[in-house]
Amino acid sequence: MSRTLNENTSNELHRTLCDLLVLSEADDCLLCDTGGYVLAREGDGDHDPYQMAALGAGVYGASRELARLLGEREFNVVLHQGTQKSIFICAVHADALLVIVFSQNASAGLVKLYAKPAAVAVRALLEDARRLAMEAEDLAGHPLVLNRAGPLFRAGP
Amino acid sequence: MSFVNFKKKEVQLKIVYYGPGMSGKTTNLQVIHRMINPTARGDLTSVATSGERTLFFDFMPLVAQAFEGYETRFQLYTVPGQVIYNLTRRLVLRGVDGMVFVADSQWSKMAENAESLANLADNLALQRERLGDIPCVLQYNKRDVPDATPLHYLEYLLNNRDVQLPTFNAVATTGEGVFETLNMIARLVLHRFLAVNKHKEDGVRELVLV
Repeated sequence: MSRTLNENTSNELHRTLCDLLVLSEADDCLLCDTGGYVLAREGDGDHDPYQMAALGAGVYGASRELARLLGEREFNVVLHQGTQKSIFICAVHADALLVIVFSQNASAGLVKLYAKPAAVAVRALLEDARRLAMEAEDLAGHPLVLNRAGPLFRAGP
Repeated sequence: MSFVNFKKKEVQLKIVYYGPGMSGKTTNLQVIHRMINPTARGDLTSVATSGERTLFFDFMPLVAQAFEGYETRFQLYTVPGQVIYNLTRRLVLRGVDGMVFVADSQWSKMAENAESLANLADNLALQRERLGDIPCVLQYNKRDVPDATPLHYLEYLLNNRDVQLPTFNAVATTGEGVFETLNMIARLVLHRFLAVNKHKEDGVRELVLV
């Protein structure tokens, strides 16, 4: 079964992530799952969200395995600090992550402080979305029509 | 697990290139990146060792108009083929929608091909999936090597099953067979996406264009 987000859930996620950006003074915020799918993105960063999600999910997965080596269930957060930009990754639930990009003007403490309640709010929204999908409510009225005009991908311009 | 965002009108699907070390998985993505229209792809990201062996994965998003009114993003990944990186392969396989198994046609690589295919089945089982249930295409790569294994032997070794997987001969370094493989796995993934969601709800339907 596919994971789906309907318009209402997307709008709620938008609001939650925008609030997080304002409060934490971060630049960019991405919600992705541990398979690397981009579920939502807010912010003014010019990074490719699909690459951010793939690498963010990979980094988090690797850190979880490191935690297990040390006898921990998982590390709650992953933080990479650079001179200009930093990345903060935390789990929303077992298979979704918040990836937050912030500059040196913001503080890691502030990001961590506001990421936690945002993760709780996002978790509730994703659980609602999952329930709706199980009840097959949100696919109704969204017919997907397959194009069959030749191969999808071709070499050349 | 595919992902549909109805507000953005976007479908995301994940395809993983699997196979033994040095079989040509990264080369497949490099050739697609080089040959496809740049508007249809994002950057190719490689997390590799200094010796250019894949350490974590390669990643490249492709965009297609597979569904009317929707943007369909195929996220292409490779796994590291070396035996020691099995944990990494498991991470990359999470949420996979379709797979390309890139086999090396050299005689000396037959044991590695068989071992890697068995490893794929084992890793899928850990996430409660089966090889026969997820779309998969076999690519017999390096068909230009002097000691290329006969195709019937490759079929016997890797495709000996009740429902055979689609196969393509390839010389990935020249691009031969690369797009044929990609288009087949993309189609299979789309058909499964529709089939799985149809079981759940009639809201997803298929229309044959004439």
